[in-house]
Amino acid sequence: MSNAEDIRWVTQVALLGDKKAFDKLTCKYQSSIRRFFLNLTMGDSQLSDDLAQETFIKAYLNISTFKGISGFSTWLYRIAYNVFYDSTRARKHYDDIDNDIIDYQHQTLNEFSSEKMDIHKALKVLRKEEQTAVLLFYMEDKTHKDIARIMNCPLGTAKTYILKGKEKLSVYLKQVGYEN
Amino acid sequence: MKTNETDIMLKKFFSDQKQEIADNGFSRRVTHNLPEQTDRTWIVWIFAIVGMTISLLLGISSGLLQNLMANMIHIPINYLITGVFCFPLVGTACYYFFQRKQYSLI
Repeated sequence: MSNAEDIRWVTQVALLGDKKAFDKLTCKYQSSIRRFFLNLTMGDSQLSDDLAQETFIKAYLNISTFKGISGFSTWLYRIAYNVFYDSTRARKHYDDIDNDIIDYQHQTLNEFSSEKMDIHKALKVLRKEEQTAVLLFYMEDKTHKDIARIMNCPLGTAKTYILKGKEKLSVYLKQVGYEN
Repeated sequence: MKTNETDIMLKKFFSDQKQEIADNGFSRRVTHNLPEQTDRTWIVWIFAIVGMTISLLLGISSGLLQNLMANMIHIPINYLITGVFCFPLVGTACYYFFQRKQYSLI
């Protein structure tokens, strides 16, 4: 499916409030947005689904502000990024407790093994911004420019986040014996 | 470890971990929870009907439509093909060309 098709659906939603057209956009992008949240929340599927739903509703309400300068996917990730950091700020007081609970649940669900490396454990060695940039770059195949747009930071800063993240992950993966 | 090797290793690591998440009713729940907005489909129909009516009235009252119909028979087929098909095709090609250019600037 092409960008042109996205634009057609976006136009239908913006001009006519067409929910069916928005449903097509949701179907197309639900997997990548939910995966993005699932990794940022370290595997909390309930929270990531809530955040993904909030992202799509915000996208629907603000679709007329989409100018088409970047692709629809980039615009959606920008909203997702804001939703996640708004949620993190709102839950700041509960963060430590929540993280402990998630860590515990996660350990029981995903045992670390040589066949299946635990991505959430690896991501924990990174700062939040580095996690976001690395996930967008390696997992979601976004370009440096797109990442800078999504994170609303200068291009150089986005590149630095990826570079630092890459270095830290490389050291971590070598330590745990991940082989290429 | 060289940067290139690190890149390859990380790309492999993340692609191994990448999973497609099944919809399982997620899209339906989102659509169900979308706030109601006024249905504005009628605007399209109003403009279409008004536009068609004005065009027909002007065409008939000025005799343009009658002349057009009468002259259609005498127009050489090459001109007709050029007029009817070529311009929309060129227009569409230009549209896609400029649209692609716009997205390459992202």
